[in-house]
Amino acid sequence: MTGDILVVTEIRNGQLKKAAVELVEGARTIAAGTGGAIDALLIGKGAQGEGAKLARHGLRRIAVVDDELTTNYSSEGYAKVVADLVAEGQYGHVLICATAMGRDLAARAVAKADGVMFSDCIELRYEDGACVAKRPVYAGKLYIEIVPSGDRPVFITVRPNNIPPAAETGDSAEIAARPSGLDRSMIRAMVKEIAALAGGRPDVTEADVIVSGGRAMKDAANFKLLEELADLLGGAVGASRAAVDAGFAPQPLQVGQTGKVVNPKLYIAAGISGAIQHLAGMRTSKVIVAINKDPNAPIFEKAHYGIVGDLFEIVPILTEEIKKIM
Amino acid sequence: MTVQGIVLLVLFVAVLAAFGVIVRMLIRSLRLGRPEDRFDRWGSRIWSVIVFVAAQARVLAQWAGLGHFIIFWGFIFITLGTFEHILSMIVPGFGWERLFGTAVAGAISWLQDVLGLLVLGAIVVSLFRRFVLKPLRLRIDDPKAKQEAVLILGLIFVLIVLMFGVKGTAIITGEVDARTAPVSAVAARILAGVGDPHLLGSVLAWIHHLIIFFFLIYIPFSKHIHILGAIPNIFFRNLGPMGTLSRMDFEDETAEKFGASDMRDFTWKQLLDLYACTECGRCQAACPAFLTDKPLSPFRLIHMMRGHFVADRKKLLADAAAVATPIVPASVSEEEIWACTTCGACMQECPPFIEHVNKIVDLRRYLVMTQSRFPSEMQPVFRNMEINYNPWSMGYSTRADWAEGLDVPLASEKKEFDVLYWVGCAGSFDARGQGVARAMVALLKRAGVDFAILGVEEMCCGETARRMGNEYLAQTLIEANIEVLKKYRFNRILTTCPHGLNTFRVEYPRFGYETPAVHHSEFLLELVRGGRLKPAGGSVSGRAAYHDSCYLGRYNGIIAQPRELIAAAGAGEPVEFGRHGRHSFCCGAGGGRMWMEETIGTRINEARVDEALGLGVGTIFTACPFCMTMFEDGLKAKGREEQVTVKDIAEML
Repeated sequence: MTGDILVVTEIRNGQLKKAAVELVEGARTIAAGTGGAIDALLIGKGAQGEGAKLARHGLRRIAVVDDELTTNYSSEGYAKVVADLVAEGQYGHVLICATAMGRDLAARAVAKADGVMFSDCIELRYEDGACVAKRPVYAGKLYIEIVPSGDRPVFITVRPNNIPPAAETGDSAEIAARPSGLDRSMIRAMVKEIAALAGGRPDVTEADVIVSGGRAMKDAANFKLLEELADLLGGAVGASRAAVDAGFAPQPLQVGQTGKVVNPKLYIAAGISGAIQHLAGMRTSKVIVAINKDPNAPIFEKAHYGIVGDLFEIVPILTEEIKKIM
Repeated sequence: MTVQGIVLLVLFVAVLAAFGVIVRMLIRSLRLGRPEDRFDRWGSRIWSVIVFVAAQARVLAQWAGLGHFIIFWGFIFITLGTFEHILSMIVPGFGWERLFGTAVAGAISWLQDVLGLLVLGAIVVSLFRRFVLKPLRLRIDDPKAKQEAVLILGLIFVLIVLMFGVKGTAIITGEVDARTAPVSAVAARILAGVGDPHLLGSVLAWIHHLIIFFFLIYIPFSKHIHILGAIPNIFFRNLGPMGTLSRMDFEDETAEKFGASDMRDFTWKQLLDLYACTECGRCQAACPAFLTDKPLSPFRLIHMMRGHFVADRKKLLADAAAVATPIVPASVSEEEIWACTTCGACMQECPPFIEHVNKIVDLRRYLVMTQSRFPSEMQPVFRNMEINYNPWSMGYSTRADWAEGLDVPLASEKKEFDVLYWVGCAGSFDARGQGVARAMVALLKRAGVDFAILGVEEMCCGETARRMGNEYLAQTLIEANIEVLKKYRFNRILTTCPHGLNTFRVEYPRFGYETPAVHHSEFLLELVRGGRLKPAGGSVSGRAAYHDSCYLGRYNGIIAQPRELIAAAGAGEPVEFGRHGRHSFCCGAGGGRMWMEETIGTRINEARVDEALGLGVGTIFTACPFCMTMFEDGLKAKGREEQVTVKDIAEML
């Protein structure tokens, strides 16, 4: 195994996931210690066009795999591509993002490559000739630090939003297309179609910005107000259980104890009282803005910014002002 | 002895022997279950049999039970007569007259006739109710159940008619005095002239006895096995608190599974329950899940489990190493198991005292701890209880934040005090619950009670985890809490939550912690009666209703105290729900349902709110944070939160 590092990135809807740049930063930390080079793999539909996004981050080579059999993710297909590449390049470290796809891919690829796996890591450093990875255990009660032993390739899945993104260094990487090397018989389950939830908005659990409505929205049609704001901010629309129960919003948008647990950078709660069941789903949001007619609504205790007022007045004003800034 | 007598004797003995073999098989089948000690308190147990078997107390709790009372006693009495008759056919001359004299024999004969007629009437009424009135409680989707019921009712009817026939012919031949058998006299008039009365009498008697013999063999294999199972089940009934669950041993390293997946995992008593069920369906008619169209019905559950047991026991009795068939999903579906709110209404209504809830919890334990199959909504709840000691993922270090600025004494500072106020998860984190906690603290201070709270040392009491079947998590929490509780000296634990109360009063002692627990309704009433607390009064406008929480009323018998408190607070006598007291209708949050979505049927809490709205009150009093949440949510869902306020009893003093 060499000191080179392979960064396996994820392409979704033809776009490179931004966590890829975080992986590069992690790779740099290791590269500083091993003295090796950093290569990247972009695989999936649209990979061709996305190579340029990583071109100036100090990478050596960017392999782009984008053919018929890698259009959509398949465990077996992608894992084979990764394992083949690892064997070819003799990479000592492979970094993959700990997303749903990344976890699935890494598990199969590491077995194929006969490597060792450090999963769900939040921090990397290089010490005493080895990569030290830090990860939470017992659902976050403790952190442990692990180091590899032996000479097998180390696969590390990294949790997004923990390592800061790498800055551009200006130098160009070599971008080369690469055949997947797959044939149809290798893949037992092919994704035929991905039916996205209405409108190209990000999924509530992955969004950086969420604009959420409660029972005070009074009608499903009124959610348009929130949709407009969400689109402006590039975010998702969420709803409280009361709004979903009343039929104002579909169930997949429900945030809370029995809905989705979200962790956006910005959570705007319009007409949501902030009962504990809802808070349980969004309280780790970095910034919470609450809009509610009732000054005693519990959400104001948790919100960073609160506006006491009628959401039907406030939300449009907010939307207008943000439009002006953008 | 005549030839007839000999044949009858041989048959009789053969049938009794067969019956004996069957009973032995049934007892052996019970032994397939795990041990359980129900052999204590013989005095109370014998008294239970007197009250609930002889006096049919629970059966008579609903007036239609009068029919059963008649059939039960009537049939016992008449069967004695049957045996007398059989013996008289074997040993001619044997009979009541020979044993007790003419007068007594005449009285017996008269009673037989009267009871026989009453039984006939009861059966006709039963058939009418079952097939014309079609009560909700008898609804089950298994056609065999109905067929069995008709067969048995029909056979009993025929037996009584035959009895009248036999006695009728005996009147014709002069063996029986018509004055001692008024109904049979009617039969005599009908049968007069129908051939030779001696022969007719013999034929009718033979048919009658053959049917009895058939019954003896058929009963243990039908739902009427309850005749055999009900009395022992009442004898061995749960004399302890209603809400007791078995304590599991996690130190046992040989254990291959946790919880119950097949019949052998249940105790013999849990299996006996299956033999005691008479399929009356009263449990079903009281079950909040069934009444809101969930797949669960306690009637169906026991019915299916009995069928499963009967099917499985053959192979299990034949071969000790045989693999028992898993109950889920063969006979019971997972949806049924998770739909239960553990409200206990089924157990409250059941005349033979079947314990439905502990079976459901045992099945849950297996699903959760061995298979890890449980509704996805429970995953974060369990995780939150593990990490932050509350179901909502609120940081445990913020548990005492509600008390900020209120100068609430901490146990860690006081060390010794009279009452430990256990705030609970809802009181600590839920905005509405915090309101109740603050009201409670204000009352305690006003009354000058020497109390303290645990603050951040308090952890979830573990009740939800227990009811959900995650016994392991529950025990870790219970044991951790006991370690904390032991650090301080106090006389009682005070809670505002009936689930917490039940846990401390009934379950913590099994883990070695015996300090008594008291609910705030009892405690506040104590303070008011003792003059230490004067109600401030005047905070309720219009009429108010009081909702009995399942874990307060049904499980712990605390029914009068909250009402007295409401009256003492000047809110007058609360208006009663149709279903109140021990028969109260669940709010829908128990058994872990609080944390799960309710997607099947109608919402239990909304059904209860509809009941409340029908009372026309402006205020609903509750004494439980779960019930409070359910009522408020239900009112909001119906858009009536402006017209009806929900208050905790602590908030009105």
